[in-house]
Amino acid sequence: MIDTWNLLLGGFATALQPMNLMWAFIGCALGTAIGVLPGIGPALTVAMLLPVTAKVDPAGALIMLCGVYYGAAYGGSTTSILMNTPGESSSIMTALEGNAMAKNGRAGPALATAAIGSFIAGTIGVILLTLFAPLVADLALKFGPAEFFSLMVLAFVTVSSVLGASMLRGMVSLAMGLAIGLVGMDSIAGIPRYTAGVPELIDGIEFVLVAVGLFAVGEALYSVLYDPKGEDATRNKLTSIMMTKEDWKRSWPAWLRGTAIGFPFGSVPAGGAEIPTFLSYSAERKLSKYPKEFSGEGGKGAIEGVAGPEAANNATAAGALVPLLTLGIPTSATAAILIAAFQNYNIQPGPLLFQTSGPLVWGLIASLYVGNVMLLVLNLPLVGLWARLLTIPKPQLYAGILVFASIGVYGMRQSAFDLVLMYVIGVIGVIMRRFDFPVAPVIVGMILGPMSEKQLRNALSIAQGDWLIFFKQPIAGTFMVATIAVMFVPILLRKRGVRLSEDD
Amino acid sequence: MQKRWQIGIAVFVLMLATVFGVGASQLQSDPGYAGIGAAFVPAVVSIFLGIVGALLLWQAVTGGYRNFTDDLIGVATDNWGALWVTGGILLMAALITKIGFVLAATVLFTFVARGFGSKSWLRDAITGAFLVFPVFWLFTLVLDVNLPRLFSGWL
Repeated sequence: MIDTWNLLLGGFATALQPMNLMWAFIGCALGTAIGVLPGIGPALTVAMLLPVTAKVDPAGALIMLCGVYYGAAYGGSTTSILMNTPGESSSIMTALEGNAMAKNGRAGPALATAAIGSFIAGTIGVILLTLFAPLVADLALKFGPAEFFSLMVLAFVTVSSVLGASMLRGMVSLAMGLAIGLVGMDSIAGIPRYTAGVPELIDGIEFVLVAVGLFAVGEALYSVLYDPKGEDATRNKLTSIMMTKEDWKRSWPAWLRGTAIGFPFGSVPAGGAEIPTFLSYSAERKLSKYPKEFSGEGGKGAIEGVAGPEAANNATAAGALVPLLTLGIPTSATAAILIAAFQNYNIQPGPLLFQTSGPLVWGLIASLYVGNVMLLVLNLPLVGLWARLLTIPKPQLYAGILVFASIGVYGMRQSAFDLVLMYVIGVIGVIMRRFDFPVAPVIVGMILGPMSEKQLRNALSIAQGDWLIFFKQPIAGTFMVATIAVMFVPILLRKRGVRLSEDD
Repeated sequence: MQKRWQIGIAVFVLMLATVFGVGASQLQSDPGYAGIGAAFVPAVVSIFLGIVGALLLWQAVTGGYRNFTDDLIGVATDNWGALWVTGGILLMAALITKIGFVLAATVLFTFVARGFGSKSWLRDAITGAFLVFPVFWLFTLVLDVNLPRLFSGWL
């Protein structure tokens, strides 16, 4: 335990270097700004910024990207409260209660409870990350290929079946992602696969290209096709952000409950901040002394209904870093893109990360503490500034997004062909969105597919081709049983009337 | 229309399954100790694609995709807008090595803004250039990303 704190202190020495502070600040500011913009999620932001960081040193780049990841979770709440247009599905609950409060002249306290709740949940989340990540990494050091493979299968299945309205369409997305991941050199025998003789394809299909195509171009084309003028969302007036004594008293327990619900959900490979925010909201509604105030009862909006889900959302974001850093397993599209960022620097997240790149990881964790403080400072006093971003007209907004997307894609390989490929993937993205195919499984499948193939073949080599190895070993067997159980979750949820849609 | 699209997507997935299946059968692979070689996972993925494609096709012909409500019935699509956006991206791809990044990206900006209903060409072109210039300098001078230029030097 003393060790952990010493390592963390060392991390602070890295995180508090002026350059790294600057990267954290840029990341938080960009993340918040982009999180505020309606319709643009953290996955897209991180994907677009990946090429920008190519020349920055690894610690600085990862600190900035994690700032973006956190910042985007903060920024989304501003839009939801003021305009009732949640940027990602994890802010739907915030939009529901927060917008009701804003309509009744309490936008300020709603924004304040969201920001402070995010700070508290984020900070508790990072403390838990600090405590648990080394333990999980130690445990994972005992994992062999069989355990990793079965854990990855669990991640595949949860990401594609739990998110999204239909398990089948999630599986279609996953299959497409796995297929894209197959293109290129096979990692064990070095045989080129599905390259059709094109030399550029031996390295595989660029990950950023697919992410930017699906998210940025897909979003722009979808928006221009079906919603060119934008909904006339009315903006609520910003009021003083001061919370009354009563507001504080009602927010506190909700923040803590939201954190308690969010963190565990983030840290298991289940993906998505949506289920924990839903759970937190219904818990607050059941426990509240003022059930009549909830917008579902026609009330003026209850502050607990904003405080809880916002805390849950941010605690989930912190929790998701546990499997990401210790196991190398992404549980959402954003996490998958962060893994790609690590790989750009030849750093493989996983149990060995804490040993091979200790200073970097601890610097990153320390910067999350710093980032949380920065985000609170950025969000409370500057909320008026962020709200002004909502007035950028749609034509210029999307034009700007596409300019940034094309720089990122072109800058990677200096290939104009990649721009055409980005467009084609964007068209596929529109069709997927139109027919409600989730996008995250494509990204997760593409990153996790080749990794799991490697583990599968190594596991079978060790076991001399005995497939029962995945069930004979207790840990691997447990994951396999959990995988089968997870497939029934959507059916159970649907029976209880919960309809899910995709996050990110 | 709806139904045709849904069937089309399922057929596309099935075609993909076939292509990947044929590709897998042509891969030469040495099973080694594992008992599976480089062709194994591709074969599994193609079978997986085939199964989900077939299920999707079955859903499409028997009443449409499940748990899918089309919120866009009756919504007019703005095909012209999409054409402008498409044109902007493809034009940028065609022109970037000829007229340099700054001008190509300005063209993209102007076209996309037009697609979303902006009426003023000139204002968009100027806004676009003002956005693109600092970004170009940031990338080429600070971040050392090589972007094509119109002339050697600052543009």
